Amino acid sequence: MARTRQSDARSRRIGLILFAACMVVAVPTLIVLFSIAGKSSSPWFGQYDPDTHHAYNFSLTDQDGKTVRLVDLRGDAVLLAFGFTRCPNICPTTLGNLAAVYRKLPPAAQERTKVVFISVDERDTPASMKEYVPFFNDRFIGLTGAPADIGTTARAYGAFFRKADAVGSDKDDYMIDHSTYAHLIDPEGNLRVLYRFEQLPETEKITDDVLRVLGTQAPGKQP
Amino acid sequence: MNKFLFLLLLSPGLSLAEDLKIEDPWIRAVPPSSKATAAFMTLVNKTDKPVLVTSGTCPIAGEIRPMVTTKQADGVMGMAFVESFSVPAHGSRVLEPGGDHIMLMKLKEVPKAGAIVPLVLATESGGEKGHVRLDLPVR
Repeated sequence: MARTRQSDARSRRIGLILFAACMVVAVPTLIVLFSIAGKSSSPWFGQYDPDTHHAYNFSLTDQDGKTVRLVDLRGDAVLLAFGFTRCPNICPTTLGNLAAVYRKLPPAAQERTKVVFISVDERDTPASMKEYVPFFNDRFIGLTGAPADIGTTARAYGAFFRKADAVGSDKDDYMIDHSTYAHLIDPEGNLRVLYRFEQLPETEKITDDVLRVLGTQAPGKQP
Repeated sequence: MNKFLFLLLLSPGLSLAEDLKIEDPWIRAVPPSSKATAAFMTLVNKTDKPVLVTSGTCPIAGEIRPMVTTKQADGVMGMAFVESFSVPAHGSRVLEPGGDHIMLMKLKEVPKAGAIVPLVLATESGGEKGHVRLDLPVR
């Protein structure tokens, strides 16, 4: 009787140890598996920021001379990129891709999406932006501002720029090296998704991200 | 006679233009205020020697130079002029948007989408100068 109770207790103890050992192995394995599954099924194409950071509220001038602040665009998704109008290769590629993203949005979503191009070139003016930005899409917004405001805005978005070599003999005809990321800001004004330059040609996937921040999921696509 | 002509046509080095084959060339349509644009293409070298593309001439541009795109890890991109694009022997080199390109500067006329623009590329191979004539669609 005493022996049976003892062996019962022992087998219970062995059972507990086995159970604990299983948990030690199984729990981390499951956590790892779930996190891998979670990562691969992330619906976002760009680099998604799950934390809520208000994007810097710039106040700059558009191509029609009107002041545009980011808070004025609340309720809309904002695609934002930095560049300059004399940029012959990078900026036309970026804006061409953003124009394709915009074209692929249904009309109702286009109404709620703003594409904003901020010049980091002190030579740019509302007039030069008006000749440049509408070429890609006449609803795009091209912003210029005082060098100090442009500098503060660029820094706030982690964008970098510097004057580079002159193109020819004219020293005022210089290029500007600059960051090539594009930001997607949600309708509440939070930085949500960051795209690398190489990702921008995948316009359909970016269109899906825009629809996702607008809360108007593309039909047949699960978040 | 026919056989002789055929062999002559096959003989290497007969035509400089055949040294460098150009695939899918095009010029980017840019806003009307632009002072520069870029030409893109794939350069294919069929020969045993590297071929250099050094410059070019084009009726709409005052100056034409090869340009490379530089990129840092933090996403900062820039551009730099180079003396030439070298296309390795039996190799190729892609000039594409956001990457290396033939820069057309001092535009006398801004190319419009749908137009065709002639371009002559200056080449060099083993010290010998040559050229390739192209007609590029604007898009």
